[in-house]
Amino acid sequence: MFDLKKYRKKSPWILHYNAGSCNGCDIEILASLAPKYDLERFGVLNTGNPKQSDVFLVTGPVTFRSRERLVELYTQMPSPKVVIAVGSCTCSGGVFRDMYNVEDGIDNYIPVDVYVPGCASSPELIIDGVVKALEILEQKSKEIELPKKLFGTIKEEEGVLNLREMALSVAQKSEQINAQKSEQNEN
Amino acid sequence: MFEIVLILIAPLVGGLMHGSQRVIRARMQNRQGPPLLQPFYDMYKLMDKRAFIVHPYHTILGILHFLTLWLVVALIILGTNLLYVIFLHLLATVFIVLAGFSVKSVFSHLGANRELLSLLAYEPIFIFLATGFYLFFGTYDISVIRENSTAIMTLPLLFIAFLLTIPLKLKLSPFDACEAHQEIVGGVEVEYSGVYFEFLYMAKWLEYIFVFSLLTLFAGDSILFAIALVAVVFLVANIVDNSTARVNIQETVKFLLIWGFGLSILNIIGLSFV
Ligand code: SF4
Repeated sequence: MFDLKKYRKKSPWILHYNAGSCNGCDIEILASLAPKYDLERFGVLNTGNPKQSDVFLVTGPVTFRSRERLVELYTQMPSPKVVIAVGSCTCSGGVFRDMYNVEDGIDNYIPVDVYVPGCASSPELIIDGVVKALEILEQKSKEIELPKKLFGTIKEEEGVLNLREMALSVAQKSEQINAQKSEQNEN
Repeated sequence: MFEIVLILIAPLVGGLMHGSQRVIRARMQNRQGPPLLQPFYDMYKLMDKRAFIVHPYHTILGILHFLTLWLVVALIILGTNLLYVIFLHLLATVFIVLAGFSVKSVFSHLGANRELLSLLAYEPIFIFLATGFYLFFGTYDISVIRENSTAIMTLPLLFIAFLLTIPLKLKLSPFDACEAHQEIVGGVEVEYSGVYFEFLYMAKWLEYIFVFSLLTLFAGDSILFAIALVAVVFLVANIVDNSTARVNIQETVKFLLIWGFGLSILNIIGLSFV
């Protein structure tokens, strides 16, 4: 049978998001997309549009300001999709670990498929990471993956999934928690 | 029979052109670039993805845009009236503009706005093109234009004006402000995803066929000249795309309205003296 799955690997479109990094890794990502390292030879395209991309390249340790957008962008990407954490600070917090304004790595918020180490990680490592991620992408099913925090509800109406409220803002989340608490107090 | 086959494979030929354009652009930058069939791999991948629908009309307008463009290309291949073709192409653009305005996204609105402005810039030139052919051949019929010898010697300024619209139609630098991938995230196509984006992507391929088949009208009945014309213009368009930066939409419209419009009017006025 004509298997569409194997073409996932041949045309991964990338969305790049900076969740508060020092820009070191962003420059390396751009370098790997630029003519010298030429990621485009694998069919990679830097789209900048979450609705049309398959690979989510994130840099930065998730600052308080960026967490809503991170989750929002993640939920706007249609499955199947993979997430690559580029740089030590994205994997674990790196040099920013335990600072008052960061969340120590993106895997507190969204599931990560590939961790790329290095501060800053080199273009070779990033290309390696992308190629590894493509292997994972080929195996994935079309099931909807949920972020770990700040996710809302998915409703189904007449056989159509409504994903509109999938990502919550931090304010909504705390409202939700407060409502739960007051409910508990009443009981 | 031959025409029907041509019509059916038109999107595929457009896809090949898009693929070879990406390869040529990569080679010009001294890198390997994607494989030639990359647009088709993209197509299969998009078919395999989940699709988001903002609302049904938006999606339907996108599909209509593709179908109308296909009809335009079919009419050109069948050799019907040039004026019909140009106005039907206008309808295709109107569909995509309506789609752009029908969603809430700011980028989509910006893209639709720019699409309208660029319409303002190239549509007069297309109409003058049809007028020029009419004045020369006495008919709008594409089949008649194809049977006679080349008109390029009497319509040189119109030819140049038409060349100026090519980067705008194919969304190439310096006139790619209506798409502007990193700036307004693709403009009208921002809210499309999955298999529905595929229709817009294929519409882009058909746009190649549309532009280059209009270009071949200048070659008249000589097939060799037509092929040479397409090859040279394709290459030059890519060189220009690689070596220029994007100009903003106001500059684009101003440039085309002054130079494109001016040159075509000069040519039309000149024709009445011949
Ligand atoms: S890993 Fe290092 S270089 Fe990369 S973004 Fe974090 S702090 Fe900057």
